[in-house]
Amino acid sequence: MIEKKVQCPKCGKIITASGNPGEVVKVTCPTCHTLGKVVFKTHAVVSSDDAIEVHDLRKEYGDLVAVNDISFSVKKGEVFAFLGPNGAGKTTTVEMIESIRVPTAGDIKILGKDIRTSFNDVKERIGILPQEFHSFERLTVRETLDYFSQLYSNHADIDGIIDAMDLKSEEKKLYKDLSGGLKQRVGVAISLVNDPGIVFLDEPTTGLDPKARREVWQVIAGLRDKGKTVFLTTHYMEEAEYLADHIAIIHKGKIIAEGSLEELINKHGAGSILRVKDCQSKAAIDILREQGFDVKREGNGDIAVKIAFKEKVLDVLSILKHECIEYGSIDIRRSNLEEIFLKLTGARLSGDAI
Amino acid sequence: MNMKFILADLRSSLKQWLRSKGTVFWTILFPVLLIMIFGSIFSGTGEVEYDLVIQDLDDSELSESYINILENISLLKITIVDADTDLSEYLQEESKSVAIQIPEDFSETLQQSYVDENVSVNISFFYDPSEQTTTSVIRNIITSTLYEYNMGLTGSKSVIGLDDVSTLGEEFNFIDFFVPGMIGFTIMTSMIYGSIERNTKYRKDGILRKLLTMPVTRAEWILSKMLFMLVLSFISTFVILFFGILVWGLSIKISIFFFILVIATSFLFSGMGMIIGRFVKDEETADMAGGAITFPMMFLAGTFFPLAQMPEFLQNVAQVLPLYYVNEGLRNAMIYDDFGKTIYFTAFVLVFALVFFLIGVFLTKWKED
Repeated sequence: MIEKKVQCPKCGKIITASGNPGEVVKVTCPTCHTLGKVVFKTHAVVSSDDAIEVHDLRKEYGDLVAVNDISFSVKKGEVFAFLGPNGAGKTTTVEMIESIRVPTAGDIKILGKDIRTSFNDVKERIGILPQEFHSFERLTVRETLDYFSQLYSNHADIDGIIDAMDLKSEEKKLYKDLSGGLKQRVGVAISLVNDPGIVFLDEPTTGLDPKARREVWQVIAGLRDKGKTVFLTTHYMEEAEYLADHIAIIHKGKIIAEGSLEELINKHGAGSILRVKDCQSKAAIDILREQGFDVKREGNGDIAVKIAFKEKVLDVLSILKHECIEYGSIDIRRSNLEEIFLKLTGARLSGDAI
Repeated sequence: MNMKFILADLRSSLKQWLRSKGTVFWTILFPVLLIMIFGSIFSGTGEVEYDLVIQDLDDSELSESYINILENISLLKITIVDADTDLSEYLQEESKSVAIQIPEDFSETLQQSYVDENVSVNISFFYDPSEQTTTSVIRNIITSTLYEYNMGLTGSKSVIGLDDVSTLGEEFNFIDFFVPGMIGFTIMTSMIYGSIERNTKYRKDGILRKLLTMPVTRAEWILSKMLFMLVLSFISTFVILFFGILVWGLSIKISIFFFILVIATSFLFSGMGMIIGRFVKDEETADMAGGAITFPMMFLAGTFFPLAQMPEFLQNVAQVLPLYYVNEGLRNAMIYDDFGKTIYFTAFVLVFALVFFLIGVFLTKWKED
């Protein structure tokens, strides 16, 4: 039996209905007595491999729908990147999963347990780094980890965490004296004090310089190597590309694409582009076109050849060599998440409309 | 209740507090500054006209002639009370601070003094030590009139003297009156600002969101923070008492009600801080909101000067201010040693503490909308 909250279309009253997956239940609004039906969708088969399951999750703020009936699951041991521009609904979603915000409708399970009824059981098994988290300024790194560790019945080895996060030389420093990157590393370290199976990291590298961002990436990659499930929200596509086993792209409260990086590129990307630089030969374009390649000349004297499969790169180079066509160098660029996002939404991940 | 967490949190709060040199400095220096500076300043406030109550037990021509001298001094506003009135009670009921009582044997002794130069008589001078300026001005006036009167009567020696009687029953100084108000005020500011800052800063830093996802309850968190705030309250209180005794020769009584009032006051204003913190989103606004509550209350609740000196409508305003009950409770417990009034004001403070703290706890939420 599943509970679902629906809003009366006439008076706006929130009504709770119960039913089984696949069932259609009739409901009557207790306020205005309007009759209606609630459809309980058939859920995907629940796999014991799933660390997190989200079904028809919805969050409304008055007329604004921040999260619009989204469903997805996160497998145990993977880095799941929840990617989207600022204001897409990432943090609202992750905070509903973390039980910080109350969903308007939908179901969330962590490690098979419904968080509405069993979140206290789940708390011991998850670690969380909230967005823009700052710890106590006047505690040292070690004292901070000791403090948070005492809240749990399950304790990880603090020395082990300090070593794993490469914080040994900083352990006696006050939190306020750390750099932004180190603070975020401490934030991740705090989320590990109970040796959790699932770690939620909400925008862990926002505001960091590229070097500090790379440092945090290494830490997150290390979590995956230790078998942790990582739920990562980010608006940096390179972060998702570098770290994620599975990516869900959210835009205006809806998931618009989901899969591994390869799957997303194959499904939504434009393939790869082989760029032949400083190629002045006028015949080159005609010859490649005759061979069935999609070619165009770019303003700076380069030739751009669209490549569907990596083997085709060698074909292009063989043709150029055979025809004695001279060029400066080559460059191969694969489609990325930015292009996919642009193609799907007409906007950049940074939020600027095209 | 996870006592392990509560003690760990208390320990970490104290550690952080001790490392914040500025906070420690102000927690200790602020009360010291108050007691040193305000103690000096507010022990002298001027008035244009001074109330003097006169009780003439002698009712003779000589006593009447002395009263006439006083009545002709424009600085004094004279009120005559009957001989059968209990003067101390009258002063308390009418909120008058200074009186003189001319003894029954006034004229008889004066007449004897013509034949026996060793005879003298004392006029009783009733005064409220908390009103040092008023007392001092009137005492000077009376001393100088007595000097002239003595000269007129005998031409040389002093026959009439003054016998000081404190209306508080014991010898108290203004600082004794001032210190309880200062303790109440110091606890109020540290509790309100502490609570507001904790709520706004920890919310902004994501610590409240983090705690929500950890196995700790709101009750455990609030209790541990209250223990920390109580430690701060007692530190500030003892600093005030220490310097008060050391520098000003403070004379007070420490009873169980003193501790009850300090603890209840801490809960009261922590609750008030939690209520404000619930509606204030950023730290800058929090400071302003704290000031908007504490400063008017400081001046209107009789912290630095007796309410009797304020206009009547402001005295009525004080009756609804929790700090007024704290100040009066502490004064009655620490200075006046009035058991009945101590119970009365302590009961009010306990009720205020219960109401504000419960509302504060109820309104403090970690969950986001």
